[in-house]
Amino acid sequence: MQDSRSRASVKSLLKREIGKIRGRLKPPAYRGVWDVETIDRRRLNLLLALVLGLAGLPVFMLYVLLVMSSFANTMLSGPDIFSARYSIENWRMLFEGRLSPAAGQQYTTRDIIMIIVNTLVVALGVTAVVLVVSVMAGYAISRMRFRGRTRLMELMILLHAFPGVALIIAVYAIYVWTLGFIPTENTFAYKSYMMVYTVFARAALEIPMSIWLMKGFFDKIPWEVEWSALVDGASRFKVWREIIIPLVKPGISALAIFAFLAGWEDLIYVHVFLYPEIKTLATFIEEVVGSIETTYLPVVAAAGTLYLLPTILFFVLTQQLLLQALSGGVKA
Amino acid sequence: MVSQRNLLIIGIIVIIIVAGVAIIALRGKETTTPTTTQPSTPSTPAPQTTTSPTPTETKTPEKPKLTGNLEQDLINIARYLSAKGIKEAKFTVWSAGDPNSVLRTYAIVEAAYRLNKILEKNGIDFKIVIVNPQFKRGGGDELASDFIKAFQSKTNPDIMANSFKHIAPFVEEGYLLDITDYVKAYKNTELKDYYESLMTAVTYKGRIYGLPQDTEARPLYWRTDVAACIKEKTGVDVLAGLAEKVEKGEVTWKDVYKYAKMAVENGCSEWGVLHRKGSAHPDLIQFIFAFGGMLEDPNTGKLVLDVPAVYKWLYVEWKMARDKLIPADMMSWDWAKQIHPSVVSGKTLVWIGGTWHWTEWQSKDYYKDPKTGEVRKLTAEEVKKFFYYTLFPAGEPGQKPVTLSQPFVWLIASNAGKDNPNYDELKDIYHMLVFLLVVKANDPDLVAIHSIISAHLPIREKAAELIADKAWVDKLAKLEIELSDEVKAKIAEIVEATVNPINVEFLADASKLLKYTHLTPMHPRYPQLADILRDAVDSVLRGERTPEEAVQYVISKIKADPELAKVVEIKGEVPSSWQFP
Amino acid sequence: MRVRLNPAFLFLIPALTLILVFYVVPLILSVYIGFTPLQRWNLNRMGSITAYNFERLFYMMFHDPDFGKVIRTTIVFTAFTLAINVLGGLGLGLALYLMDEVLSLPYRILWLLPRMTPVAVYSLLWYYFFLGGEEGTLNSILLRLGVINEPLSWGTDPRLLPETAWVILILVNGFVGVSFGMIVFYSAFHSIPREQVVAARVDGATTSQIVRHVLIPQVRWHIVYVTVWQLLSLLTTFAHIFLLVEWGAVHRWWGSTWALYVFNVAFKTYEQGLAAAAATVLVIIGAILGLVALRILKFKEMMVEPKGEI
Repeated sequence: MQDSRSRASVKSLLKREIGKIRGRLKPPAYRGVWDVETIDRRRLNLLLALVLGLAGLPVFMLYVLLVMSSFANTMLSGPDIFSARYSIENWRMLFEGRLSPAAGQQYTTRDIIMIIVNTLVVALGVTAVVLVVSVMAGYAISRMRFRGRTRLMELMILLHAFPGVALIIAVYAIYVWTLGFIPTENTFAYKSYMMVYTVFARAALEIPMSIWLMKGFFDKIPWEVEWSALVDGASRFKVWREIIIPLVKPGISALAIFAFLAGWEDLIYVHVFLYPEIKTLATFIEEVVGSIETTYLPVVAAAGTLYLLPTILFFVLTQQLLLQALSGGVKA
Repeated sequence: MVSQRNLLIIGIIVIIIVAGVAIIALRGKETTTPTTTQPSTPSTPAPQTTTSPTPTETKTPEKPKLTGNLEQDLINIARYLSAKGIKEAKFTVWSAGDPNSVLRTYAIVEAAYRLNKILEKNGIDFKIVIVNPQFKRGGGDELASDFIKAFQSKTNPDIMANSFKHIAPFVEEGYLLDITDYVKAYKNTELKDYYESLMTAVTYKGRIYGLPQDTEARPLYWRTDVAACIKEKTGVDVLAGLAEKVEKGEVTWKDVYKYAKMAVENGCSEWGVLHRKGSAHPDLIQFIFAFGGMLEDPNTGKLVLDVPAVYKWLYVEWKMARDKLIPADMMSWDWAKQIHPSVVSGKTLVWIGGTWHWTEWQSKDYYKDPKTGEVRKLTAEEVKKFFYYTLFPAGEPGQKPVTLSQPFVWLIASNAGKDNPNYDELKDIYHMLVFLLVVKANDPDLVAIHSIISAHLPIREKAAELIADKAWVDKLAKLEIELSDEVKAKIAEIVEATVNPINVEFLADASKLLKYTHLTPMHPRYPQLADILRDAVDSVLRGERTPEEAVQYVISKIKADPELAKVVEIKGEVPSSWQFP
Repeated sequence: MRVRLNPAFLFLIPALTLILVFYVVPLILSVYIGFTPLQRWNLNRMGSITAYNFERLFYMMFHDPDFGKVIRTTIVFTAFTLAINVLGGLGLGLALYLMDEVLSLPYRILWLLPRMTPVAVYSLLWYYFFLGGEEGTLNSILLRLGVINEPLSWGTDPRLLPETAWVILILVNGFVGVSFGMIVFYSAFHSIPREQVVAARVDGATTSQIVRHVLIPQVRWHIVYVTVWQLLSLLTTFAHIFLLVEWGAVHRWWGSTWALYVFNVAFKTYEQGLAAAAATVLVIIGAILGLVALRILKFKEMMVEPKGEI
């Protein structure tokens, strides 16, 4: 036990130290990484933009065609962009849930709004579970000592060798077995259980990857930050929550994108567990494209474009989080 | 800072959703478990408690048996269940198909309505309820796999309309109800006029597992304008009496080759023959039958690789592709951009198609109008003007013409009626009731309506008669028919858009093809064999393999899987002296 | 004295639980199913233990005339796509890090689009891009430019096989895969303390020197991670190949990887026993390759011990 005076002085010393570190991490405003200009920024920007633009040209073209097709009367692929008729008909049909026309322009209708809500619930649910679980575990593996640490990491990445599609046989068996305990009469509980199981099962697939990713980000945080807080008498959990988390925002943003996309685009799990009561955009699009022999593709193009919008929005949001971590620095 | 708050809000919402759902799920579980132990749950309230004290048991009717008289059987069953205190039976139905085929599901709803009307008329306090009928867009394969999965958790439908090919695997796993005895009882009444060839589609290993629902056939379409061009250039009138000549076996694939060559060499069309992409099953399988081959040994129940027939089929494709009568990359053409536009704008003399194409061409923008340059749908009149059709010709002289059908059938789950009270005790009764529903769903008028609005062929003669009856069709067009309001509303728009005299005439006429129809094997491993055949066709078309090499390839692929080798008999030799054309 | 629980354990509980329930238990079950004749999801009829699934699988591999093509395709596909995914991702992440944010964000969105798109729609776009007729995007461009004078079936023409089919596979998967590396590396570069870059710059280092000596060494962990992760992904997934093969955009066998082959053999016929056996074999191969990759990339050295606790 130290006497209170020297302890207080250590404390104040460390506080000053943290202040310094925070100061370093908090530049006046974020303007790219080049605080000291030694080369022609414009030239570098131009060069990189040109190279990336050229390499991405085919992709860019494909998506222009996709968006144009969503307004056209045929799925565009080339010269037909000049001969096609354009209208917002496809979008109207999509929101009315009318898809592939058959003889006499008939449609099976679908509740597209409900489908979007389902997709959001699954995607955000997966994101939430993945974020909480892997940020905790990544911290433990990066910052704490315990036996089998290296082994655990190895095991975790190797788990990825087991493809979801193979794993699903057994995950499905467990699902069927546990579903037996839920009373079928209570449809709401039944459906909720289906949803929750799907979210957790899907999130679990992302966990090993996320932990690996987070560990890398935690590794970069200077130890001084944590020590000083611990010396302050904060608990390990409190330090994790209040000091460390804000420092790994870039990692969290990357993680959030992957987790969100995983939930948003999942086909196999959603299909196996939720069909036919609950449908998401991805399974819905898959179903429509699945009958490519007769399907009316421009509506699929519209559905595909619609599908992209929330993901882009989510991406931009997480990117702001990332930049904020860089320019805003750490808040106490 | 704003975006941080946004993120926080999103985060909170997510957590609330997840937590809420979890709590409700858990609580739901807690609160409902005790209630299930009590005798009554809210959904099935009074009957058990109120009826048991009343002395109904004294006059409990005898356990009913099916007699073949639908009305009487229904009344007996309803009285029996009603006496047991059950006033309502719930059933579920799933189906899939294009949007016009909604009756694959709603015919059952209509059947329930009709049965309930009979009960009402007889003053019996009993009702059949169809819970949450599902009609899914798309093919039956996915529906079948969904059924399988749902069966594991007992959430499967009691009735499903799906392709007949699922019967074999489903029976092997015990998913289907054996209705042989029921069918026997009804053979001479309600089921008397069903087409015999289609009843074989529901028979597996001598037992019956379903009733036909609808079917189609695969005609060979001929372009009239291309044929006219050939006549003009060479003087040969290809279409003169062609349908009869094909039916008699006078025009065979050797002639088709000849005509195709004329068309291409004289610049009448770009191609001689076009056919489906991506799969040999089912359209191209017709070649095997047309060359007198078979795919299944009726005695052993094994699949058959009929080497001579398969060789001749592959040779025809190979030869035609080499002479540029069939495109070498036919198997990877695109439906919407290449195949249909080429067919509807006359870039080929022959199209190996199906009866459903007749309306497909009227429903999507495939046709580029030569006058206006506009891309549009064909009208019914134009389809009739452009296309002549025949059976799929015999492969060579001495063989018979064919067509091929893949009927959809009503399947009854082996656990049908599972959602009803006292299931274990009363399951026989519930099974009979489901069977009656299915029989009723095949009422001639329902079959006829379904055929007309979805461009399928009817599965029974009485329905075919109705389709040919102009007065009745007129009434249908005006919706002046006896249907429940729910079902009428479901099909009103479809009827309005599809009941067209030209199309109805086509259906009535195309039903005649069914006399020559063949079925693909119902064997669980048939799809595997069909996949191999597809690869063989693809490689001969592209010129990667000669027909002989392709046959060897098929054999080696079969032998590579011990399970497949076990169930496929390889019959015959490559007829190396065979000449084509 | 109270027995103190290692606090690390508390942090790990949620992760370990999920992994146990959704990975370890299913894994064991899956291996078990591989030894049963389970068919058509019929969990009520598992049958008795047998090694027949494995025997049959190996018999098929050695006797299937197309299996050689599948193996060659898998090797070429995995090697090239992995290189693109890791190096391309690194380059992309770096370039986007060096760019101004105004430019960088739209580019990140563009490069992330393939990953965001539903697999079916993404495959559809490429399917039409490489379509054989003159309607195909690539054909129509090349015809217009006069590079070719008749439309080519890029993925299936025997004269062009197997290289073109491989290029299509690599391209289609590369565009999806590269964005994974891009996001990871881009975020990783941003988590490097900025003063290190600034200090190097003050010392007069050029951009390329900063990249080589400051930035790259800092993301070594992420490189290992992306490499091993992508390697395993490429070996076990086939989502983006499946439809291209199914629709005939690429040749069936010159366009099938080992994972797709296994899927087609085992899943299409509803034989889950066989599928599970196939998956087990896949996993063993994947795990071995993964371990080798970890050794080569000196994974152990990177697992530095935490610097003590207070």
